[in-house]
Amino acid sequence: MYKLIKDNITNQIKVVCRLSDNAFIPFDLKNSDYQAYLKWVSEGNTPEPADQ
Amino acid sequence: MTMTLNGTDGVTFNDASLQGAAASPYVLKNRIINGDMRIDQRNAGASLTPTTDGQYTLDRFQVYISQSSKFSVQQNAGSVTPPAGFNYYAGITSLSAYTVGSSDYFCFVQNIEGYNIGDFAWGTASAKTITISFWVRSSLTGTFGGSIRNGAANYSYPFTYSISLANTWEQKTVTIAGPTSGTWTTVNTSGFQLILGLGVGSTNSGTAGAWTGSSLLSATSATSVVGTNGATFYITGVQLEVGSTATPFERRIYDKEFISCQRYFQAQLTDIGNSAIYSGNVTSGASYYGSKTFQVAMRAAPTLTWGTQWGVNGFASTAPTADWLGLDGFRFYKASNTTTNGGYIFQAWSASAEL
Repeated sequence: MYKLIKDNITNQIKVVCRLSDNAFIPFDLKNSDYQAYLKWVSEGNTPEPADQ
Repeated sequence: MTMTLNGTDGVTFNDASLQGAAASPYVLKNRIINGDMRIDQRNAGASLTPTTDGQYTLDRFQVYISQSSKFSVQQNAGSVTPPAGFNYYAGITSLSAYTVGSSDYFCFVQNIEGYNIGDFAWGTASAKTITISFWVRSSLTGTFGGSIRNGAANYSYPFTYSISLANTWEQKTVTIAGPTSGTWTTVNTSGFQLILGLGVGSTNSGTAGAWTGSSLLSATSATSVVGTNGATFYITGVQLEVGSTATPFERRIYDKEFISCQRYFQAQLTDIGNSAIYSGNVTSGASYYGSKTFQVAMRAAPTLTWGTQWGVNGFASTAPTADWLGLDGFRFYKASNTTTNGGYIFQAWSASAEL
């Protein structure tokens, strides 16, 4: 499971939190954890929305 | 004394005893980082029992596992004397007598960044030959296996090597003619993996000594370390270089090797003085920011994981939120829950940009 993280200054979302270990994963295609997140999404899963 | 100099072998002394001091024909000839197993940022010499496929052990070395907890990995496990010239080794110990199924795999791996193999010209008619060398000591004897596999995991070369004496350090050499086909990345993603099998089933094994357009992790019928309870597999002096000859292990200054490791993983886990810090007067309900600059620019924007929280004042004792991560640092924030002068957060962290 993942949760989107909003940039608290720009309000853009460029980080996702992996809830199993509270790891913060940047939206970088060369980051292997982000690749795993994209695969998880492609399998039909949806992350929790970012806090408002 | 005579010596020869050529573009393939560099300096070759007639007196072989002098060869260890010979100049390398290449700068940074060894494409393996931490091949002498000196650096262990994550575990600081403690034993690790991998539970997750891809988990990292000593710096730059990870495991591929299809089942958890079948072996442990520890720097200098068993406290045997390393081979001459080395002070550290990676010690793998089987924790059970596991029968490897056809789709099972247990491997010790280094993923090499494409930038560091760009001169290999792999995938072209000019592909260069490489030689892998390493020191290994196992309680088992027989034919062991491994593989070179590209970053896309669709092209590979299984190989074998023999261990003839139990519990004795032996240096092994594997020479591989470079592939003229396949896709081999030369940027900051995985160029290829050096894979050493510890027990690999038939699905992921193949004929040794030939390139194949598939993902193979080892050679068919290679010895299974995980198949014997208590079996040991110790390794150090891992070198991968251009050419058909294994040259002496490339000695690197410690700080340079440490910096090379930090491109992929860096952490400040054990000292409050190095933790991620916010400090200042705080008002309940307001958010406060801190940032940390990495000691070395990382390969890619890393994944940040928080460690021990050394202390907070004016904040709840939960981890901050990291809302920006880049090659050179990260930013975090946290809302205060108590108005106070001298608020603070001290939090350990680690950042991983492994391949």
